[in-house]
Amino acid sequence: MNNEYDIPTKRPLRIFAFDPMLAQLDSTRVITINVPNESLNRGPQGTRVEVIDYDGVNECLYPPVDLDDPSVLMRNGLDPAEADPRFHQQMVYAVAMKVIDNFDFALGRRIGFRGKRLRLYPHAFLGRNAFFDPELGAVLFGFFVAEQQAQGANLPGQTIFTCLSHDIIAHEVTHALVHRLRPLFRDPSNPDVFAFHEGFADIVAIFQHFSFEGVLRDEIQRTHTDLSNRTPLADLASQFGHATGSGKALRTATMEANPGQYASLMEPHDRGALLVAAIFEAFFQTYQRRTRDLLRIASGGSGRLPEGDLHPALVQRIATEAAATAQGILTMCIRAFDYLPPVDVTFGDFLRAVVTADFEMAPRDSYGQRALTVDAFRRRGIYPEFVTSLAEVSLLWDPPEGRLPPFPNELVRDLASAARELSGVSAVRGQRANTSDGSGLAVSNEAEQRRYKRALRKYATQNPGPLHLDPRREIEVRGFHSSYRISPDGQLLVDIVAQFAQTMEETSDELGGAPLRGGTTVVASSDGVVRYVIAKPLVSGASTARRRAEAQARRERQYSFVEECDHGDPQRAWCADSQLASRMLRMHNFASLHAGRG
Amino acid sequence: MADSVTIRMYNVGFGDAFMLTFPGRPRPRRVLIDCGSHSFGPGPRPMKDVVKKIIADAKDADGVSRIDVVVGTHRHQDHVSGFAQKAWSTVEVGEVWMPWTEHPTDKAAKKIRDAQSARAASLMLAMNRLNAAAPVRAMVQNSMTNARAMQTLHQGFRGKPRRRFLPLRRRSATFETPVLPGVDIHVLGPSFDEDVIRDMDPQRGESYLQFLMTRNEAAGKRLRPFSSKWSMRLSEYRRAHSHLMLTDKQIKELANVGDGSEFDLATKLEKAVNGTSLMLVFSIGRARLLFPGDAQWGTWKAALAVPEWRELLSSTVFYKIGHHGSHNATPRTFVEKYLSKKFSAMVSTRKVSKWPDIPRLPLLKALRGRSNRVVRSDRKDRPDPAGFTRDAEVVETSVPI
Repeated sequence: MNNEYDIPTKRPLRIFAFDPMLAQLDSTRVITINVPNESLNRGPQGTRVEVIDYDGVNECLYPPVDLDDPSVLMRNGLDPAEADPRFHQQMVYAVAMKVIDNFDFALGRRIGFRGKRLRLYPHAFLGRNAFFDPELGAVLFGFFVAEQQAQGANLPGQTIFTCLSHDIIAHEVTHALVHRLRPLFRDPSNPDVFAFHEGFADIVAIFQHFSFEGVLRDEIQRTHTDLSNRTPLADLASQFGHATGSGKALRTATMEANPGQYASLMEPHDRGALLVAAIFEAFFQTYQRRTRDLLRIASGGSGRLPEGDLHPALVQRIATEAAATAQGILTMCIRAFDYLPPVDVTFGDFLRAVVTADFEMAPRDSYGQRALTVDAFRRRGIYPEFVTSLAEVSLLWDPPEGRLPPFPNELVRDLASAARELSGVSAVRGQRANTSDGSGLAVSNEAEQRRYKRALRKYATQNPGPLHLDPRREIEVRGFHSSYRISPDGQLLVDIVAQFAQTMEETSDELGGAPLRGGTTVVASSDGVVRYVIAKPLVSGASTARRRAEAQARRERQYSFVEECDHGDPQRAWCADSQLASRMLRMHNFASLHAGRG
Repeated sequence: MADSVTIRMYNVGFGDAFMLTFPGRPRPRRVLIDCGSHSFGPGPRPMKDVVKKIIADAKDADGVSRIDVVVGTHRHQDHVSGFAQKAWSTVEVGEVWMPWTEHPTDKAAKKIRDAQSARAASLMLAMNRLNAAAPVRAMVQNSMTNARAMQTLHQGFRGKPRRRFLPLRRRSATFETPVLPGVDIHVLGPSFDEDVIRDMDPQRGESYLQFLMTRNEAAGKRLRPFSSKWSMRLSEYRRAHSHLMLTDKQIKELANVGDGSEFDLATKLEKAVNGTSLMLVFSIGRARLLFPGDAQWGTWKAALAVPEWRELLSSTVFYKIGHHGSHNATPRTFVEKYLSKKFSAMVSTRKVSKWPDIPRLPLLKALRGRSNRVVRSDRKDRPDPAGFTRDAEVVETSVPI
């Protein structure tokens, strides 16, 4: 490779901003996005993602696109064309990489798929569905024929490709990433777990939209800056929704709040929509605060804009604020992952993680984004368990209880070299698409990885009390990484995060395949000093009376959740006892979950 | 025994047919609750013979068969198939009770019926094309409209019976009727509660159904998303792009996506129709007789949430075990918390090898742990307790009033 020129860090690629239906109504809905640059094999096949265009209906393959071909590079990727499968491959790749880029950015490290590539099948099957399959390590996209009625701007009987919807791609790839970061969130241990998966995937899809400034400008002009209005930006998968005959987008982020919702909405998408609506409200309020001065300036002090078109310069300024707000919210949500417990997540945990992560990053909360988020959750009846109030200090996760020594030196000292590994492109520069885990710390080989795990297990075994782990049970090291972020004040923030989990396998059968688990996420500073212990212990692991009571409540909750699911399970009466041991997993899997809609 | 109600359970296999006889002068009063049998679990006698026997059993001294109330708890084949017989036109009936979802003009009722029968029809079509396994197909068959039987319930019988669709909207859920003097009828379900109604919707599955259909259709008339110039054969692709590994195993896994979902859809529909079941308590003297049809958890939950229903349920002296003794039709809380120790119970059921958990033996055991007066229609799995009589066709008992 020729090194006389700087290798760009980003690669521009063209996509439909929403989907082909909205693009055909308005040509500005074809946009160019920048994704991390890496040299690509045909496919595209990069280090973390690969597209294999196997058509499961016609049992044939479509030739893989070569995005490194000069004729393609010269025009920012292929022109959008529904009839060319190579554009489909480009679009799924581009949107997937954009999502991954957002995760990398927010988490301050490269998120790999544990040495494998996430596989995308853009035309896997015939059906109104797309889903992430954890067993296959792949996202499967369906295609189908539009309904004859209520198809919106689609032609009746037109072929609809789910792989050409930005929202659907972003949603499914987010599932894959969430699964990568917290594999134990596959266990349906409470009603929030799958709802979190769904809601979070929608949040990423929606806020990724809002970072597309061109589209944003149009919408700001059209809605006269009221982005809470019915705008396609707040809707998900518009073409899909219309093509399946529902006459509207698949879901929308603007749902009225009422405090009974959290207690009553149980279906994962409905419940997930609650999370989306809460985050969207926080976004919208923050956006209003951030643009209030602009509106005052533009309106001579009244804040009320005159009728008619807005000045393009004003639109541009507002769009910049909206995009920055959206990116801020998206980053805040993703960053929360480092502060989530390894098991049994609830919306309340997510709120606490958001607050803690954001507090660490920007203690001042200058736009009130954090406070507005808490309030949006409160208005929907979402309260974290076991906190005394919704004040910021009570929502922050707990510091270690009791004496907890810092992480051992051998774990901490390699951080500097890890930082080098992280600097994005340099790691892949010049090399042709090798798989590399790149999961943060310089864990270059398996032996080293084992060494880290051993050291961590030893650390946990020596400190079971403050970590709320049961010393008589196996302690599993679920993850260890460092992250590097620049705070708004310009400081380099380094975190070390370790996760431990414990499983009561003996409860697996009665709980339908999702055994009782306990786990602890430990967040330390670069010197190894532990700042937060985010524990969801087993009853036997809880080392204080308060924690024990919480653990008991958590256990009760899981048993009654399983009972509730059993009550509602149509298959329960008809299947054999031998199938009962996996019934919760059967009732909760991504494929059937997604088939339910549409 | 003049001061008791007799309960007669006809052996219809996997189905329900119960006759209650209340003492009365000059003639006793009769209530027939359901009359049907599942095509996948027939009884020892053909339905025609069972119907003949029921009609004969209902004969008054003047030679006319009279049934004061016919109840169709819900429109499943295994509860109504017998009503398709012509012989019913000779039977004089006082009233016919059905769930509110059968109301011919009520909008909400019509919507539910339409959703259920549309789903049944499209599923049936898919099952045929998919060559689905017999038990799955039979399950869908169970929810098909059963038009002839339903017509008898809606328009048939002698004597211009009055039709009641229960419970009545905005009226008391407890009523009396001149055809059953001295009996209070409590309608515990199906309620108009939103959760209960949601249970009646075979929702969430239309897209899977389409997926199944199209996958199968694809074999004949393939939907080609792109011009044929693009398509490559596997061998060609592997040669040209060996870095993109697509193994035979992976191809097979992709082909298997969605397998088994027809069973899922069939059970969803089954549950939705069961959700419309009438749940009745007949109250006479001290006796409380509970007939929940095939009511599912939604209906039970709504009923158990009402204090006076809880009290009523706790005084049950006869319990028709819900849904052939399956899980989810008899809540554990009802057995453990509300059912008293002095009750009789009957379950109309039979073993079908493909549905091994019906009747659910732990449930029968739990019931028998509280009262030994629990019997099943298909066999004596222990000597019948005192007070029960049995022959090949019926099991009978009586409870004092």
